[in-house]
Amino acid sequence: MSTDATAAIVHTLRERFGDKLYCEQPTLTGMPVLWVRREAIVEVLADLRRLSEPFEMLYDLTAVDERMRSHRDGLPAADFSVVYQLLSVSGNRDIMLKVALDERDLSLPTVISVYPNANWYEREVWDMFGIDFAGHPNLRRILMPPTWNGHPLRKDHHARATEFDPYTLTVEGQDKEQDALRFVPEDWGMQRERDGAEFMFLNLGPNHPSAHGAFRVVLQLDGEEVIDCVPDIGYHHRGAEKMGERQSWHSFIPYTDRIDYTGGVMNNLPYVLAVEKLAGIQVTDRAATVRVMMAELFRITSHLLFLGTYLQDLGAMSPVFFTFTDRQKAYHVIEAITGFRMHPAWFRIGGLMQDLPQGWDRIMQEFVNWMPARLKEYERTMMENSLVRDRTRHIAAFDTQNAFDWGITGPNLRATGCDFDLRKKRPYSGYENFDFEVPLGSNGDAFDRGQLRIEEMRQSLRIIQQCIDHMPAGDFKADHPLTTPPPRERMLEHIETLITHFLQVSWGPVLPANESLQMVEATKGINSYYLTSDGSTMSYRTRIRTPSFPNLQQIPALMRGGFVPDLVAHLGSIDFVMADVDR
Amino acid sequence: MAYTLTRADDAAAQQSDRYPLGERQRVDDPMKQQVHRSVFTGKLEEVLNSAVNWGRKNSLWPYNFGLSCCYVEMTTAFTAPHDISRFGAEVIRASPRQADFMVVAGTCFVKMAPVIQQLYDQMLEPKWVISMGSCANSGGMYDIYSVVQGVDKFLPVDVYVPGCPPRPEAFLQGLQLLQDSIQEERRPLSWVVGDQGVYRAEMPSQREKHRDQRIQATELRTPDSV
Ligand code: SF4
Repeated sequence: MSTDATAAIVHTLRERFGDKLYCEQPTLTGMPVLWVRREAIVEVLADLRRLSEPFEMLYDLTAVDERMRSHRDGLPAADFSVVYQLLSVSGNRDIMLKVALDERDLSLPTVISVYPNANWYEREVWDMFGIDFAGHPNLRRILMPPTWNGHPLRKDHHARATEFDPYTLTVEGQDKEQDALRFVPEDWGMQRERDGAEFMFLNLGPNHPSAHGAFRVVLQLDGEEVIDCVPDIGYHHRGAEKMGERQSWHSFIPYTDRIDYTGGVMNNLPYVLAVEKLAGIQVTDRAATVRVMMAELFRITSHLLFLGTYLQDLGAMSPVFFTFTDRQKAYHVIEAITGFRMHPAWFRIGGLMQDLPQGWDRIMQEFVNWMPARLKEYERTMMENSLVRDRTRHIAAFDTQNAFDWGITGPNLRATGCDFDLRKKRPYSGYENFDFEVPLGSNGDAFDRGQLRIEEMRQSLRIIQQCIDHMPAGDFKADHPLTTPPPRERMLEHIETLITHFLQVSWGPVLPANESLQMVEATKGINSYYLTSDGSTMSYRTRIRTPSFPNLQQIPALMRGGFVPDLVAHLGSIDFVMADVDR
Repeated sequence: MAYTLTRADDAAAQQSDRYPLGERQRVDDPMKQQVHRSVFTGKLEEVLNSAVNWGRKNSLWPYNFGLSCCYVEMTTAFTAPHDISRFGAEVIRASPRQADFMVVAGTCFVKMAPVIQQLYDQMLEPKWVISMGSCANSGGMYDIYSVVQGVDKFLPVDVYVPGCPPRPEAFLQGLQLLQDSIQEERRPLSWVVGDQGVYRAEMPSQREKHRDQRIQATELRTPDSV
């Protein structure tokens, strides 16, 4: 990321838009953060998209309820702010724009005309904060049930279920809820018939074997052909962002594991890195290397799960038995090191929960030795299989530009041939010290997305091998007062140290007021945590940007004119989990 | 052994009735009363009942239904290393109408609850429910606006499997506990003969059953070596 070029962009923007830009906010996000006047936002975004190295992608769009925030020195007055984060793949840089809003006038223009993927993000902001986007074609709830009252991420909305009367479901309530979930084609501007022939509307989900969890997509069918479809999400909304506002910095870690629940400690990584930026902690080489090793191991287990279910969706029943056998071997190693299988919550602010156990290298080596032959077999029996090829080649294919338009990152972006992997482009946690390649596809179809992940597992094995061979010695935790939990040895010096220790363990560390952000190349694409600290033991706002959300929004654009079996092949090839969509 | 008697009468449900529907009461072993009536038919019924129950418990067809992370561990139990077919429960059905039991594996969301209820209603009797994982048991670590604090707020649950997520082995144990309880059940053998209620045995608490043995453990394995 060249900071000079970024500064030049900010400079040109200032010249162009003058007082339409309020100010630049200093943060720890690693990108310029500009406050823009509401009237100018569409224009500024359109301008940034037209640069010679354009910001091709609307990476994230979210909002913050600023009403309770105390450390706002130098920022424009705002009750709510809407945040636009753009990513330039060609320039490898980011920029963040914010718009201040008054409580009495919570409205701003939609930016769908500039970035089509703003559609779902704006719906989410409406659902969670009640902010209106003028000109949005379908501003309705996306995560909460249609019958819900209130906007959960507002500071005055309750957080806990137990603050309410216990949930009950009556016969009448059941009928009402089911009725509210009924799909009405007219609401989505769909025709019920064409040339006298009626379309069939088919509900795929919210519980369907190929929907990979609680996900629903309503298909408008003419025979087997998909005329149009409407994905419907929110059946897996666990309120993780609100949860971040009431857990201490430390006790939120286990919630991150459950975001991309096949990714395990991979999820801890962006969160602890973002917190460490706020705290100013530099972790030891050993901690950084162990983190990379475990994250890559989880990338392999996640990709193995993908491979098994992807092939199963194509009708091949046995591969899932093989890949789960491999996963079992990986879990043997994971459990020996972290003490848990799926959700170890093993990373800590400033390091790890504990050091590697004796003998870890032997079992890890066994796993690394086991895998290559298996991968070869999967390739030979499945990816060279003509049925698999026929079902996936040129199916649901999209090009790099389309991926940018919809905010697609990770393996699905690289399957289109775009070489953008954060581990190479913006190395974090010491990835610059490793020798590995970034596999690329060329057709961006369902086949490439599968094949690419097999290759990615090989590269992950390479990284793990380097970790085994060159694991640095040293401490597994940084020597810093905000490291959590704090070192016990320090506790017993005198009463002061005891009190500090006690407070830090019971209330958690207090982090300085600021904003930070960390992206990582997670199993399914770019995952990031955007944290706002108000100088307290808890986060003021935790924004979790997940890679699966954009993939689902893209589905109608790809599937129009396709066939139902193609949709199933595509769903299998995306690699999404609903927790990573709805959070 | 004490039993819970359920008389299901969904057709007569009022609009304001809460799920789970049906009237429940605690009763004594239904066989005992009948044995007093006639020793011969009593014995015959007992033999028939246990034969039918034996058949039911060893060919349980699970409903392919998953909500979140726990479902991954549930599917792990279906694959080769854990091999659920050892317990006769490998025939996963994608339609609720063909399934015998539903595993609520994962978080029960407010938006999903009416859907879960609908799917449960579509399953045919006899049917059972396993609640897998802390979320389904009680809401778990998600005491948050969008999560129902336990699926038993509206579904009748037969077995609770603790864990976040439970290991596949724990799920398999839950399945075996369900089988044990099915063996003790009394259901009408015909729709014309005898009492039409469903008698479920009240099974002993596992925590109490194993407590003595568990507190014997004084040394835990060190995490410092593999
Ligand atoms: S109990 Fe734990 S593992 Fe299971 S669904 Fe809930 S959070 Fe996920």
